[in-house]
Amino acid sequence: MTLYLLRRAALLVVSLFAASVLIFLVLRLLPGDVAQTIGGIKATPAQVAAVREDLGLDRPLVAQYGSWIGGVVTGDFGRSVLDGTSVSGQLAEKFAVTGPLTLGAVVLALAFAVPLGVFAAVRRDSWLGGAVNTLGQFGIALPALWVGLLLVLVFAVQVRWLPAQGFPVDGWAEPGQALRSLVLPWLTLALSEGAVLLRFVRSAVLDVLHQDWLRTARAKGRTRTGALLSHGLRNAAVPVVSVLGLQIAALIAGAVVVEQVFVLPGVGQMLITDVGNRDLDKVQSEILLLTGAVLVIGFLVDLVHRLIDPRLRSAV
Amino acid sequence: MRRRTALRLAATTVLVGLTVTACGTGSSGDPANAGGTKQATQSADIDKNATVDVRLVLEPTSLDIASTAGAALDQILLDNIYQGLLTRDENNKIRPSLATSYEASSDGLTYTFHLAKDATFHDGSQVTAADAVWSLQQVTAVGSKNPDAAALASVKSVSASGDHTVVVKLKHRDTNFTWGLTERAGIVFKKGTDFSTLAGKENGTGPFELAGWKRGSSITFVRDDSYWGTKAKVAKVVLHYIKDDNAANNAQQTSQTDIETAAQADLLQPFSDTGKYTVLRGDTTDKFTLAFNNASGPTKDIRVRRAIRQAIDNAGLVKTLGGAAKAVGGPVPATDPGYEDLTAIDAYDPTSAKKLLKQAGYGSGLKLTVQIPNIYPPTIGDYLISDLKQVGIQLTVKQVEFQTWLNTVFTKHDYQLSLVDHAEARDLYNFANPAYYFGYDNANVQKWYAAAGTATSDVQRDAYLKKAARQVSQDAAADWLFVNQTLTVVRSGVTGVPRNFTSSRYDLADLAVAKK
Repeated sequence: MTLYLLRRAALLVVSLFAASVLIFLVLRLLPGDVAQTIGGIKATPAQVAAVREDLGLDRPLVAQYGSWIGGVVTGDFGRSVLDGTSVSGQLAEKFAVTGPLTLGAVVLALAFAVPLGVFAAVRRDSWLGGAVNTLGQFGIALPALWVGLLLVLVFAVQVRWLPAQGFPVDGWAEPGQALRSLVLPWLTLALSEGAVLLRFVRSAVLDVLHQDWLRTARAKGRTRTGALLSHGLRNAAVPVVSVLGLQIAALIAGAVVVEQVFVLPGVGQMLITDVGNRDLDKVQSEILLLTGAVLVIGFLVDLVHRLIDPRLRSAV
Repeated sequence: MRRRTALRLAATTVLVGLTVTACGTGSSGDPANAGGTKQATQSADIDKNATVDVRLVLEPTSLDIASTAGAALDQILLDNIYQGLLTRDENNKIRPSLATSYEASSDGLTYTFHLAKDATFHDGSQVTAADAVWSLQQVTAVGSKNPDAAALASVKSVSASGDHTVVVKLKHRDTNFTWGLTERAGIVFKKGTDFSTLAGKENGTGPFELAGWKRGSSITFVRDDSYWGTKAKVAKVVLHYIKDDNAANNAQQTSQTDIETAAQADLLQPFSDTGKYTVLRGDTTDKFTLAFNNASGPTKDIRVRRAIRQAIDNAGLVKTLGGAAKAVGGPVPATDPGYEDLTAIDAYDPTSAKKLLKQAGYGSGLKLTVQIPNIYPPTIGDYLISDLKQVGIQLTVKQVEFQTWLNTVFTKHDYQLSLVDHAEARDLYNFANPAYYFGYDNANVQKWYAAAGTATSDVQRDAYLKKAARQVSQDAAADWLFVNQTLTVVRSGVTGVPRNFTSSRYDLADLAVAKK
């Protein structure tokens, strides 16, 4: 296990280094730069050029990359060229919205996807099982944007139970308000993510239902439910955990549609704004940190796999 | 040239325009004519501890108004946090601010400003002539990085005469000088201010202080209770940045905001109850300009440019967008000096447009591409495709990110047609600058614009500007599709809400909330 952890850690470092080069270069392909954002269209070309020089944007790319990555390895992820805020501070502030948004949505999605997915698999031949399966497909087909707008219309505008948009100005210092602000976004995300999970759970459970070891367990006297609970779910969980990991990773930066519909100041919104402003020093650190987070999630998924399935532990 | 234009990313202001309707305005008909909410509320009825929540669209990229461009900074920081020697009122008329009065010498070369003696910065220190002189010198200094430095290009020297008098000498007469002082170039900072510290904090002189900035969400102002002038009537204003129009509408309907600026005309129906809401219709200088590349490509030929203008039914476009806009026919909007109705020039005439294209050698058809920043509604592009198709022009709409537009069109002039909102007031100078991205080069226009700048009276200035604007329109240097109007939804009980030019500056000093 120690060897495995060391190998994974080394892979993480190499992956992050490769990602940093890729992120840096790809962002430089974007037309325009932050000097033009600062100068706008009133500044003369000479003024824009002077800003560019001040910011060091006229230096060779290798030198710019060196300055950035040199800071990163010492834990300094840099600052926004535009407003001077630290990247890590801003990410922490935005993650205080996106983190709970993502995790809450995933928990909610799991809460209905797992039981319904198992039910749909076990009762696959009944009309109710078929209905649940169809419901899952329907959920996948629903665009999150549309679901969000509909939920706002009903629960915010019509019945006025929940806020239509926004996050409290004082954030989690107003926990009640903050939670209320996240209810509709949670529902929106959970419906679409949960529908995907439901399909995977159903498929994974269907797969284990036909396994010899499950039949053996039943031959030894376990009920179908008992055999499924003690042996089946654990085996079915392996592919589901993989999908879950991918979903969480995708949601951290990918919940942007929901953030836009509900005007939540999250990570996705910040990234879009920063790219638009060409605040690339900030963007590259943000993406690198997010890449790191995704790699760590992948690592955790692998660990969970090993906890669930002992066969994987000996396969290092 | 004196100054370069400020294109405002007034994505929403475009959308603002949708309907003249009586729909949202209820029994008052067009509430823009109903006196709006500027009626004074009796001071005894005002809740001085009130907080007002306002929906705005574009968030500033920084609060460093001395170095960072952007209409979003001007909109909230001018008048509220920072003040200049002069300001302008809701009708764009120049008014005193930190300078309570000023005189100009008879030759127009010397201006003497008298500062308010009791004005103070938010840190409590007094505003003196030395501060004003230092601030103006930072703008006019060689190598100044102030994006608005060109506004004070005619300044020869700035000096103090005592503690409260500032004397500015000009190199030549400049009819735009006092206007320039109303903009950010005229802001008075405390002498020695390190501008690099202003990105997230301030030390202004206005009636509000910055209390917080939640990036991506909101900016909060609180009343400066030791303000030197008439104090603000509300304790706090929270500016919520909501780009999505539907979300903004929902926020206003559910009382999350008290004021919704840049409302969409076709979304006003929920605000038809005049007992609960007032809808203000205001003027803007937002000229939605279909720019032609006058310097190269097919549009170098005036016949092609005129044909395009004649092929577009501007009135129909305004109607399609809901009606909250006006056709203008030239580069000067009705609220700027030098305006005259030029809509008769190259008016909608598809038959004539076809003839012009044939004369230009494009009788069998012409393919053109227009680059439009993706912040504007796609309806405009669709409309242009449809109108131009009828005269044989196959138009391709290329939606681009605004930074890409800045890089490709604005900087490299690599385009055929382009559409953006030129929101800056008094920006005719762009057509007197052949290096501008329009590539329009007419010696007479340049001469007349320069003459307007050094005119000895407003009448003379306006005459030159009219002459130049007419020529620009006759040369079809661009097509000004429409000038936008701005709609603001205000909940009942809130007064003192700005009506005009709301995306340029949003003076909060008169906001008041009636006691419940």
